[in-house]
Order: sequence, then structure tokens, then C-alpha cells
Amino acid sequence: MLGPCTYVRLSALVLVATLVLSACTGASQPAGSNAPSAQGGPVAGGTVTIPIGADPTLNPWSPNAFVESLFINRAIFDGITKPGKDLAPAPDLAESWTTAPDGLSWTFKLRSGVKWSDGQPFSADDVAFTFNDVVLKPDLGAQNRASYAAVKSVTVVDPNTVRFDLSRKFAALPSFLAYNAGIIPKHVLSADPLKTTSFNKGVPVSTGPFKVEKYTSGQSVSLLRNENYFGPKPYLDKVVFTVVPDPNTQIAQALSGDITIMILDNKAAVDRVKSASGLVVASRPLVQYYWLALNQTDPRFTDVKVRQAFVHAIDRQAIIKSVELGYGSIANSPITPALAAYYDPSLASKYPYDMQKAKDLLAQAGWKPGADGVLQKDGKPFQFTMDVGQRGVLEPVNALIQQDLKKIGVIVDLNTMEWNAYIQKDVVRREYTATVNWWTYPSDPDVFPYYHSSAAGKGFNIPGYQDPKLDDLLVQGQSASDLESRKAVYKQLQAYTSETLPYLFLWYPQEIDVLSSSLKGVPELGLRDAMHYIGEWWLAKK
Amino acid sequence: MVVGEEVTRFLVQRLALGALVVVFASALTFFFVNLAPGGPASVMRFDVTAEQREALIKAMGLDRPVPQRYVEWLGAALHGDLGSSLLTNEPVATRIGDRLPNTLALAGSALLISIVAGIPMGVVQALRRGRAIDHVFSLISAVGLAVPVFWLGIVLILVFAVSLHVLPSAGVTSAASDTLADRLAHLVLPAVALATTILPTVVRFTRSSTIEALHEDYIRTATSKGLAPWTVVTRHALRNALIPVVSAIGALVPRLLGGTVVTEAVFGWPGMGRLALEAAQGRDYPLVTGLTVVVAAIAVCASLVVDLAYTRIDPRVRLS
Repeated sequence: MLGPCTYVRLSALVLVATLVLSACTGASQPAGSNAPSAQGGPVAGGTVTIPIGADPTLNPWSPNAFVESLFINRAIFDGITKPGKDLAPAPDLAESWTTAPDGLSWTFKLRSGVKWSDGQPFSADDVAFTFNDVVLKPDLGAQNRASYAAVKSVTVVDPNTVRFDLSRKFAALPSFLAYNAGIIPKHVLSADPLKTTSFNKGVPVSTGPFKVEKYTSGQSVSLLRNENYFGPKPYLDKVVFTVVPDPNTQIAQALSGDITIMILDNKAAVDRVKSASGLVVASRPLVQYYWLALNQTDPRFTDVKVRQAFVHAIDRQAIIKSVELGYGSIANSPITPALAAYYDPSLASKYPYDMQKAKDLLAQAGWKPGADGVLQKDGKPFQFTMDVGQRGVLEPVNALIQQDLKKIGVIVDLNTMEWNAYIQKDVVRREYTATVNWWTYPSDPDVFPYYHSSAAGKGFNIPGYQDPKLDDLLVQGQSASDLESRKAVYKQLQAYTSETLPYLFLWYPQEIDVLSSSLKGVPELGLRDAMHYIGEWWLAKK
Repeated sequence: MVVGEEVTRFLVQRLALGALVVVFASALTFFFVNLAPGGPASVMRFDVTAEQREALIKAMGLDRPVPQRYVEWLGAALHGDLGSSLLTNEPVATRIGDRLPNTLALAGSALLISIVAGIPMGVVQALRRGRAIDHVFSLISAVGLAVPVFWLGIVLILVFAVSLHVLPSAGVTSAASDTLADRLAHLVLPAVALATTILPTVVRFTRSSTIEALHEDYIRTATSKGLAPWTVVTRHALRNALIPVVSAIGALVPRLLGGTVVTEAVFGWPGMGRLALEAAQGRDYPLVTGLTVVVAAIAVCASLVVDLAYTRIDPRVRLS
């Protein structure tokens, strides 16, 4: 059988070709047809349909809640905070929060009168249960528990107040609590918090604007308004998530009007979707960046000049153009433009595509061209293997990097692997030389877990880069409590990482969302983040 | 009742043999899938630390040796317990039971289409050998063999769902209306796409075996007796020509079930094929093993049905 990616790519080709044909017959409107369809304010009613790739797991802490679960979990569960429309933490179940003068605890004042979808009262006990009995229990292996390594325990101060006690300063806690950290009900899950099937794969009890009506395995999950929701009544009557594994079938469904909003993973289809009547295309910022990790146990890559040379040699603009169709920008640090308060745009032009500069830097590092043009040092050619996981755009990106490095005399062999086996080899065992991948992280510049030397080898520090100065900046960032001092630290951190290149930064992708022109009120966030605001979405009457 | 005893003895022998085949398939699958690179999806993800991985592996019992786990699995399976899915914690039997009817409906429809369309096509080709219609049908089978299902599937969706708006694009029912007509409308495109995986083989087998039968002496005798050509073909030639076709169809059942993997993914059809793909990608060891057992059992039954069908078509064949 063909690998899933080959099959996706082949069918993408077919799709584009056939779409061009059908464009001739379809009644297409001029591009940008999102003309004002309804004057005036939001109206109630209607159903929104969203495709997801697989059956979701309706429990934000289950280790089996994968990316397809995020949509629904963010619509039905509330966190203590949620990402604001500027991505800074905003109130959700908590109304306000403060940190102690020593920075070793955070206190959250919770909303009063909140009820679960089954009518039971919500209280600080549910928050304490979610953390003390689920997230902080090592043997449960809860998802995202690594984000709370600094949390010792959660104390119920009174029914509407909780305190997070910390082992070290953790300024980003309110941001991390906005990221897939929905509070789950103690009265339902105290027996088995992560494996209760009637909850995870059925009708969970939740506090969000919508609640699950019906879960049909392999087919759909439908949501209804949660009549007990504490906030304003949502406009939509119903939200239906249909399970459609094939991304090209999802596009076909959007074209036939069966889908209201979706993420366009296959960007090659963007022009056809743009020309379809009744559909609008929007680009959205993501807290995500692609990187090339060079294993720091390989002595060839510990020389910063080699890492800098590679960044000069890789034509990142060409990658963005060919695989992202221009929807992205060059990355030179881990802080993405979506985090506008912290992002330093002056670094964007730090490493222009410059083969000569790359060759000069490599020459300074002792790599000189041999008779065959391949760089050599101590008689050994510069040759290594990059492992390629079969997912998303990784295969074409690796091929482009291979070509770029060949131009400066570095030979790269590509080893393409099935995703699951790739994770085991490169992430679990760290048996790799070089590999490309991406990080998506909470909307906060605290990137400690991905860069600190304590995370090398076993944590998320994939290249295993260890640098006391960087460690110091990461700890300073966690210790600085006010926005201005955090901005100052993370500006330094961006400058320092762009110079030292713990990972080789490639690009910041943007998401393309396709939505029906009648759908209004969706904030300009990535669709998964916009799910936190589903109560504000509404459908204009046609 | 000598015949009845004969049939019973045959069935008992074949079923015992079939059970052995199924157990062997389960052992092979269990060891292969557990020894394959990678691991359960919950631990093979980027955002899991080494400490979480260890806890999860232990909780799933995967820190114990594979032979020990297989013996335990087999013991439970013999009591009807196929274990629990690592991805959802639901019983494997429940997960398969939810999906099996959908796959049987899809594969059954595709098989029906292949037989109802394929046998007449093959017969017509044999009777009009070398003529235009023979070449046209040959071309159709060749294209059917060459075109991958995922490609045909997406083209069918674009033509019939997106452009013409006559059939639904994916799923098993519409959210709003769950009627028999709605279900049948959803079945048409995936069943046609899946049928193309075996239809060309049915056509070719029918064509060649009919041509062969038409050259037999008894056909010449029947024709010279003055029987109408139609009677000669249906009563004499086809009856003999179908014997190899029936055995070919039995052998095509596993291929048909394999084809459901891709077809169900393209059409969002909630069947076993998609479940198998998810289980394999997510290294859901008990689910992969359970699915193999079920598919192996279906294949064993299909070959048994073919053998029984032989005795109806060809009186020379005896059960022994």
C-alpha cells in the first residue's frame, strides 16, 4: 500500500487538476467575495459544521487527546484563563489573579455561581482536583504535565479562590493555564480521571458555552448550547464536528457547502477555494515555528559557525514560497510574530540567503572543498543523514534543504520514516544526526522547556544544546513578573538565540482558514484558538 | 442420511482448520505489531517527556515481555475477551462491533456490483471476442486495474457531490436525516470506488473461462441439437464457466477488505478499514490483533462458502 503521505500528495495533485476543470463550469464569483451579506448585529440560530481528522478524546488531559481533540475540548471545557484576542491570558473561570511578592505562588479569584453542564455547582475543589489528583500525579502521565513542573500543589483558599504553590518562579503560569488546561469535574471523574469512556468518548460534563449532545464514533460529535453557561448565551444553536480523515475530501465538502469553517492543510488548493462562491479565505497567525535540529552530540555541529553557515545556505524564502505558498515569514528566534508584545522584528533579516557567506563561515570552521567540491575536514567529507518524518510539509522541505546544502558542498542523505517510528528514533531515543520539525507552544515567550539544558536528552530540548548563559536568560524570564521586564529579558533571549542558534530557525507558518461567507464573529486567531470564542460566532441569514 | 453426515464432517473439519488458521494469524500479528518500530500513539508524541513515557508504558502493561502478553491475550480471547483499545480504553470487541456492519455493507455492495456488472461484461466479451465491445470492456477493466481507489474516489466526489450535487460526498448518513434512502445515497460512491478494486478481475476471469467453455465438445453437441444460442450460453457454457469465477471471487474477498482501508478514509466511511489504519498508525496493539482475527475469520468463512457453492454448481465436486 502507498504510504499515507504519498497518497495525500497524489490526491492533492488530482484535486488541483480537477478543481481547475470544475472551475470552468462552476458559477464562481470574483475573488474576495465576502461582501457584506447582512447589515446590523449578530442574530441567533443556525448550525456550524467543522471537519476533524479522527475521533476526538473529550478530556484535555488524556494522553490520547491528539490535535483533532483540541477543537471540541476548547469549545466545551473552560480553563482558569483563556488566550485573549491579543493572545495574552484573559479571564475564563478566574476573574482575576495575582502573584505573591516572592513570586512563589499565584492566587486566582474564581467566578462565583458557575455550574457544570449537569447542573452541579463548580468550585475551587474542581480546580484542585484537576491539578492535584490528575496533572501532578506522575503515574497518570497526563498530557501537558511537563508544563507544570514548577507547580508543587494547588490549595483551596475558599470556594472561590485557589492558590498555585510553586517550587520556583513561574511568571508564565496564567498563559500556560490558557493552553489546553480545561478544568474537569471532580464529581464525575474522581474514580478514574483519564480513562472514563462515557466521558472521553461520550457526553462529558463541562462548563463551556457548548456541551456535547451526541458522540457517534467514526462519524460526528454534535454540540448544543450549554444552558448552564456562565457567560452570554451563544448565538449558534448547534455545532457539528464531522470526522473526515482525508484532507482533500474536506476541501470537496467545503466546496459543496457541507462545511462552515475549516483549516486548509493543503495550501496548494488555496486559489481554487478563493474562487469558489460563498467561501472566504483568511490567513491567521500561529504560535509555531519550524526548525532544523543538529544533534549537539555530533562534534561537527557544536561549532556555531557551522550552524550559522547552514542558515545562510538554506533559502528559507524559497521554502515559504513553495511549500507554504507564501503564508509564512522567516524565523530567527523561538518567539513568533503572533506574540506581538514580545516579538523583535529587527532580527528577521539577520541571516540573508548567501551561499558565499556560508562557504566563508565553513572555511573559518575548517571545512575546505575537496577535489569533488565536497567540503572536507581532516580528510573526511561533510556528509550526514537527516531523518524525515512523514507528516505535513516535512518531505518537500527536507528535499529543498538537501539541495541547498549540496550547493555549498555538504552532502545530506534523507531517511524518510513513518511518523510513529520516526518519533521513537529521533525523539525518544535521540538517535539522529539532523532533523526538521516544528514546535507549537502556549501563547507566552517562556520557552524554557525547549531550550534549558535540564531538558537536553530527555525533555523537549531536541538538539541537546546546553549553554549556561541561555539557561540564565530562561530563568530570568520566568522570574521577571511585570510585562516590561519580561519584554526586556525576552528581547535579549531572541538576540542571543538568533546568534547562537540552538536550533536552526526556519520559518513561522501561518494558518489558512476557509470559512463560509455567512459565518461572522470569528476572531482573527488560528481556528483552534478561535474555538475559545465560539459563543461569539454567528451565522448571517441568507 | 449419508449426504448430511458427509456435510457435517466436512464442516467440522474445515471449521477446526479455520480456527487454527485464525489463532496462527493472531500470533503472527501480535508478535509483528509489537516488534514493529514505534509504540502507542500516546507515548510516541513530541510533547511527552521521558518520565511521562515510562509511566504510560507501565500503565499499559507494555513493560512486560511480548510472549507473556500474547499468552495472556490468547487466554482471554478464548473466553471472548479481545482486550481493550490502547487509544480509547474501550473493549476491542465493542470498537470492531461498531464498525463491522458498515464495512460489511460497503464490501457487500461492492461485491454485488462486481458480480452483477462483471459477469455479464465478461460473458459479452467472450461471445463478441475480438469485436469492438470486447475491446471497450477490456479497456475499462485495464483502466479499473490501473486507477488507484483514492484517486477515483476523489474524482467521484468532485463530479457527483461538488459539481453535480446529486450524491453526498462523505459519511454514512446526513446529520439531519437518517433514512434508508439517505444511507443508500451515501453508499453509492464508496461502493462503486471499492468495486473497481475487484471488478476487472471478475470480468477477466469470466471472459477467459467462458471462452474456454465455448470450445468444449458439449457446447458443439448442444448447438447441433438445435438449442437456441441463449440457452446454450446460459444453461451449458455459463454453468461450467462460473466454476473458476466463483473460486476467484472467494479469493478476492481479502483484497476487497484491504481496499476498504483507502476507500473508507477517502469517503469518511466509519468502517473497519479506517479503524485498522488508525490502529496501525497509533500502534494500538490489541486493536490491530483483534481486527486481524476478525478479518481472518471472514476470509476463512468466505473460502468455506466458496467450497460449498462448488457443490451446487458442479455436481462432480464432492465434499471430502
